Amino acid sequence: MKEPLFGPFREQGNGKHTLGPMQHIDVPMRRFREDEPVDYLIVGVGSAGGVLVQRLARAGFKVVGLEAGPFWDTERDWVSDEAGSHKLYWEDARITGGSDPLALGANNSGKGVGGGSVHWAAFTPRLHPSDFEVYTRDGVGADWPISYDELLPYYEQLEIEMPVAGPAYFPWGRPHGYAYGPHPMGGVGNALIRGCSKLGIPVCIGGPVAILSGSHGDRPHCIYRGFCIQGCKVGAKASTLITHVPDAIKSGAEIRELSMASRIEMGKDGRAAGIHYFDGEGRPHFQKAKAVIVAGYAIESPRLLLNSSCAGHENGLANSSDTVGRYLMAQAGNVVLGRFDELVRMYKAPPAHALSEEFYETDPKRGFARGFAIQTVAPLPIAFAKQMVAAKKAWGWGLRRELMDYNHWATFGVLGEILPWPENRVTLADEKDQFGIPVAHVSFNLHENDKRLIKFGKEKTFEVMYAAGATEVVQEARYAHLVGACRMGADPGTSVVDKFCRTHDVSNLFVCDGSVMPTQGSANPGLTIQALAARTADYLISQGDAIFTSNRRDMTPPRLRRGLAPPHTWGKGVPRLT
Amino acid sequence: MATEAQSLSVLHPSRDAEIISNHVREGRFQRSLSLITAGASIVSGLEVAYEHYRGSYSRRIMYTPVILSAVLGAAAAAAVFSRRAARGALRIASIVTLADAAAGFYFHVQGIRRKPGGWHLPLTNIIMGPPIFAPLLFGTAAYLGLIASYLQREESRSEVADDGRDWWLASLLPRAEERALLSEEQDIREGRFQKQVVIVAGVSAILSGFEAWYSHYKNNFRYMAQWSPVILAPLLAGAAFASIRSRWFARTALPLCSVAAIADAGVGFYYHARGVVRRPGGWKHILYNILYGPPIFAPLLIGAAGMMGIMASMLRRSNR
Repeated sequence: MKEPLFGPFREQGNGKHTLGPMQHIDVPMRRFREDEPVDYLIVGVGSAGGVLVQRLARAGFKVVGLEAGPFWDTERDWVSDEAGSHKLYWEDARITGGSDPLALGANNSGKGVGGGSVHWAAFTPRLHPSDFEVYTRDGVGADWPISYDELLPYYEQLEIEMPVAGPAYFPWGRPHGYAYGPHPMGGVGNALIRGCSKLGIPVCIGGPVAILSGSHGDRPHCIYRGFCIQGCKVGAKASTLITHVPDAIKSGAEIRELSMASRIEMGKDGRAAGIHYFDGEGRPHFQKAKAVIVAGYAIESPRLLLNSSCAGHENGLANSSDTVGRYLMAQAGNVVLGRFDELVRMYKAPPAHALSEEFYETDPKRGFARGFAIQTVAPLPIAFAKQMVAAKKAWGWGLRRELMDYNHWATFGVLGEILPWPENRVTLADEKDQFGIPVAHVSFNLHENDKRLIKFGKEKTFEVMYAAGATEVVQEARYAHLVGACRMGADPGTSVVDKFCRTHDVSNLFVCDGSVMPTQGSANPGLTIQALAARTADYLISQGDAIFTSNRRDMTPPRLRRGLAPPHTWGKGVPRLT
Repeated sequence: MATEAQSLSVLHPSRDAEIISNHVREGRFQRSLSLITAGASIVSGLEVAYEHYRGSYSRRIMYTPVILSAVLGAAAAAAVFSRRAARGALRIASIVTLADAAAGFYFHVQGIRRKPGGWHLPLTNIIMGPPIFAPLLFGTAAYLGLIASYLQREESRSEVADDGRDWWLASLLPRAEERALLSEEQDIREGRFQKQVVIVAGVSAILSGFEAWYSHYKNNFRYMAQWSPVILAPLLAGAAFASIRSRWFARTALPLCSVAAIADAGVGFYYHARGVVRRPGGWKHILYNILYGPPIFAPLLIGAAGMMGIMASMLRRSNR
């Protein structure tokens, strides 16, 4: 067939900004003047920033989102290719160190509108109620200034907005059900089910994952082609780029792409006055604002605060407690690979689509505090090659032989909780980036509890892999996600922000992203970050103009504003237990 | 005694068969057809409930067939016991469900159209999109219910058999159509509607054969048995359409193909059920495996076409 039936294909998007095959932005974006103060200036339009921009714009505030990376047109900018997707990561200069240095880049940072949510696996388990009181229960880590119940309405709300596909009954933590039906299993998921069923370990099938199992407004459902973490061109995987940013622009927000914030300017009244930033050509700009929200994630947020030191804030902005940059956390993310005689074809499904949280909570018999989850991960060939190099020291012809065997391997990931330690921290290095801004130095060390937890989790995952029928099992030690470094707390002496993400030191400066989390649990942080952002937005809206004019701290919790959800949120989804 | 001669007894199967055959010939099988409608409605309700669950009920209208099949099932069950329910509730529920099946067909066609490429890529999008003919097949139970609502009851003794004429609906139509509708109704009441049922059975066989073809194509026809409905469906449809003109076909080829289709439905049901429990986790994750295993009730669709074929072969032809 030379030409498709009924003539040639219609041109995608008709020249508009396209987000996936069916969605496009068809209103012109509003532009704000730099010398006129906007209400909220948000640094970073990622998981948290995207939700904040949308909520605040919908509530009628003048909002500008500064984003260091580009505003993706998915049909033009993205490719379904592992090597071609590196521009989705934050790969500017950073320095990593400590006794167990973290690999920075692919799986713990994002650049461009949507941030990390563009290339996350969209796995969205909630934290457990115990995660909010780790110190009270186990005497390690820290307590959150809020409880699970305070965040619960926002978990439920964001699970509908994304929406999250998963089983009707999720048994761990506080049991609940999901808005969209579970996904069909790929080969890795089937291996996890087989292994867990054999050992009598409960396993959760087909989610929770923020990838559409049924179509949703102008977003088509998943077609299981495997390029989830390369940026989903289908538009089935939720990212704030397609779930919240289009509505933000319709509601009158401005997203200023290719704008790298360098310093927060403080006014004479001790309040933040605006932000200095560089545009795409490296020219300096200054945008005035009545309030500033930093949403740059666990490395860039503390880096911006530390780079903004000035008279009265010599150690860095909002750092009177000396906790900015401290208590940085990554999760243990050991990848356990098993070879099966039959074909697995692990690329044919979302990478993360089944898990067990049976080992999530503290068990005194195991000899360490807190726990871990076992999840499916399904690397594409390049990532698999790196894992084979690390796990089997394969090289040369041997590596080629392993790679030809790709379709026979299944991979499970341990997702283990590493506790917050003060010496795991972000500091400023002497080196400068392309704009002349000092770069971040990240120091990371494992402690005894972390090491025991990793060892136990790794062995348990090996057991499951063998029970699933693997004939050979190997593993690569690595880390996943990145939170902490501007943690929230009730005591201004030991934390950076209060429970509404407002810095203790500056009353119109907020930090709202993964960096405010005091502990991280064994759940992927994406959902929690977006839920915290929605809660912070509700608080800001409930305060009205008081944020801009007064230094008084009103600690009344806000009510949930369902009306601020993007359109097309309601009237969808399966009957469920929440 | 007359009533004794009319009641079935397991001891004399040949006489039972004769009684049933006479009932069908004379259009006196409202109770039995209502019972079949109830069963068919519950099965298609379960099927659509989990198929739409896979689609996450992403539109509220996706709940309507689930609700309507429960309503139709209840109305049909009531019709087994009450003539009033048969002519009232069952008829209304059947008409509403048929309308819903038509609406569902429209939405499924739209669902394929709005996929990337739409009807430019018909094969891909029919296979990957919502099952195009499933809503029409869902209407099968409603069609049976509608027919049942016009029949006489098994114990009916009336010679003229014109009780329960639906004057009201007919009076809404122009004069000529009014007469046509009333005489069609009268034919149904007397069991003289073979042609109508063979057409429906033939169409139903083609649609379910098409569904079986592309669903099994998704599985690359991995098992030989997956070809059986694809081969049987055109045979059954051919026999059914030939029966429109030929009384001989209606008496020979049609029941033969119909029995084969029903047997194939039974075999398919077994294989699909076996496929479900063979999935990883098996009985431990039975609900999930029903959701994503082979559609457990789908083979019964071709059986429904076969059942209509059998019914048609027992009916009389209109003498108009």
